[in-house]
Amino acid sequence: MRSLLLAVLAAYLNAAIHSILAFVNKRRSLQRVAELSIAAGFVLHTAALIADWAINGHYPLFYLRETLSFLAWTLVAAYGLMLYRYRAQALGAFTMPLISILTFIAVIIRSGPEGEPAATGVAATWLFPVHTTLLLFAYAAFFVVFMASVMYLLQERELKLKTFSGIFHRLPSLSTVNELATMAAALGLTLLTVGIATGMLWSSTRDGKFWHNDPKEIFAVLTWLLYLLLIIYRASSQWRGRRAAWLGVVGFALVLCTFFGTRLLGGYHVFG
Amino acid sequence: MAIVLVGVNHKTAPVEVRERLAFSDEASAEGLRTLVDGEIIREGLIVSTCNRVEILTATTADQLQQGAQRVTDFLDRARALPAGFLAKHLYSHTDDQAVRHLFRVASSLDSMVLGEPQVLGQVRRAYSLAVEAGTAGRVLNRLVHHTFRVAKRIRTETGIAANAVSISYMAVELGKKIFNSLKGHTVMLIGAGEMAELSLRHLVNAGASRVLIANRTEESARRLANEFGGEVIPFEQLAEFLPEADVVICSTGAPEYIVTEPLTRQVRERRRNRPTCFIDISVPRNIDPAVGRLPNVFIFDIDDLESVISSNIREREREAERAELIVRSEVMQFQQALRALDIGPTIGALRQKLQELARTEMERQRNRLGSLTPEQETAIEALLMSTVNKISHPVLNQLRRSYETSDSDAVQALRDIFGLEE
Repeated sequence: MRSLLLAVLAAYLNAAIHSILAFVNKRRSLQRVAELSIAAGFVLHTAALIADWAINGHYPLFYLRETLSFLAWTLVAAYGLMLYRYRAQALGAFTMPLISILTFIAVIIRSGPEGEPAATGVAATWLFPVHTTLLLFAYAAFFVVFMASVMYLLQERELKLKTFSGIFHRLPSLSTVNELATMAAALGLTLLTVGIATGMLWSSTRDGKFWHNDPKEIFAVLTWLLYLLLIIYRASSQWRGRRAAWLGVVGFALVLCTFFGTRLLGGYHVFG
Repeated sequence: MAIVLVGVNHKTAPVEVRERLAFSDEASAEGLRTLVDGEIIREGLIVSTCNRVEILTATTADQLQQGAQRVTDFLDRARALPAGFLAKHLYSHTDDQAVRHLFRVASSLDSMVLGEPQVLGQVRRAYSLAVEAGTAGRVLNRLVHHTFRVAKRIRTETGIAANAVSISYMAVELGKKIFNSLKGHTVMLIGAGEMAELSLRHLVNAGASRVLIANRTEESARRLANEFGGEVIPFEQLAEFLPEADVVICSTGAPEYIVTEPLTRQVRERRRNRPTCFIDISVPRNIDPAVGRLPNVFIFDIDDLESVISSNIREREREAERAELIVRSEVMQFQQALRALDIGPTIGALRQKLQELARTEMERQRNRLGSLTPEQETAIEALLMSTVNKISHPVLNQLRRSYETSDSDAVQALRDIFGLEE
């Protein structure tokens, strides 16, 4: 459903432009346009994913193109929740361009499955889509942790240096971004845990092995450990504030390695 | 219809002049009734604050000069000023300049402290006084409501009123930045100076739930505690209560550090690393600057506050430039609305139309009359015109009445009947 995805891209681009303008200009009307575009884009995107599923006959989360599109979709959902819960409009100026880029890559990548393994075989059982979907939502949650941590660090630095830049006044308060990061990390870790578990289960039903020792699995476990550490530290209040925020940033680098880096390293998880 | 605004503000007149001009509510109502004569000055409104006296009036387009003069004379008489006393302080604006000035005043672009919120309320008050006095008519109603809209738009769309520009308000702003909301949070005052009291007032207004006051002289601590529903804590037990405070405002006259680094380390431990915001407005400082190096502790001394304030003022100035653009476009919009409101052109067009009809008929029949003396020519002309005027008089009156009662349908009906184009 390329044409539908193009419409989605148009909506996200519009939202990105209006979010940036709203960030610069603080005009409510611009923010409204951005939010309406996001809503429209999200609805169209959902429709595009369902259409893909119906037409191609497999869950639309297998090829890179599909994965990127799905990732963009989860990020929009995550940003939507942040907007709804924390009114973190300022985030749109950073998140929406990124989402637009992901969608754009998903649009331009060739949609044919040539040269890649057939989707039907691996995606046959219901466990596989559950595995991938959960993990993508976990990535989106970690992206939220990352954004919240960056916002925390920016503001904490300015409070310590006592010089406030223009961006300072447009960001949500320290306690808000702190709470946001904690919530998102807890949610992300839960999703990651269940996602890894279903992956193992699926793998064992397929070839009897839980663990293949491939780079993606190793990185995923490292990521899991890091976010567990983050949550324990946050809960024990030892690492409240700046250090926890740094962990949120480092953790996301690890997430990126898990997501993209292991494609280059090869191994069992060659797809997605 | 035309608008004339005459006034003085803090930039054009020193306080000695402004205080002689100031109008109390009663004086303003009374003054308006004398000023608005229904002839030259059709409508009027007086804005009188400590920084400005502005007299806004509506007059007719051909009486702008007389209008401005009338207002100046009124000021001289109402305030019994010697002739020429005001000349070098007074400014007078007409039409779009006057509209622009009013928009800027109400949006706080013309205020001493850019973006201060009181002036809009003062304009609102002035308007309701004028409404009570019956001197706000259709033009001023329109103008003042448009002004409120512009002020609101500027407040929401620009950052002109954002970010604290006073020391006492900085505590609220920093508290909100760190804790999001002050609700459920505890404020501690160490020392009960005037500035600390003002800060406390803002913090309590912003929702701070608990107030702890430690002061060397318990009497003034007691007074503040009573006023703000706070608790007095013995100065010696400061260290015990300090961990409970989220925002600490320090303003004692003590020559040494009261909040030291070791103390803050303990506090931080007992607070389980929850952030604390220290504001030190005392000179010499009462909080060791080394405290600021501890994680989750934020400390602002008087110089830090001043420098943040001056950068906030610069930010407001930048935002004011954007506000000026809004004012400019709104003035244009208002002028358009005002033109649509004006009945003058309709009356003129109707009169002209009827007179033209008479003249054309005269032209057509002129040959049949043969040669006429100039006197006869003028008599015929006069005859025609007075007939036209007699016929159109009740029509025009009706038109004016419809207009005065805002019956735009009736006005439009008359325009349609006589085939007048826009």
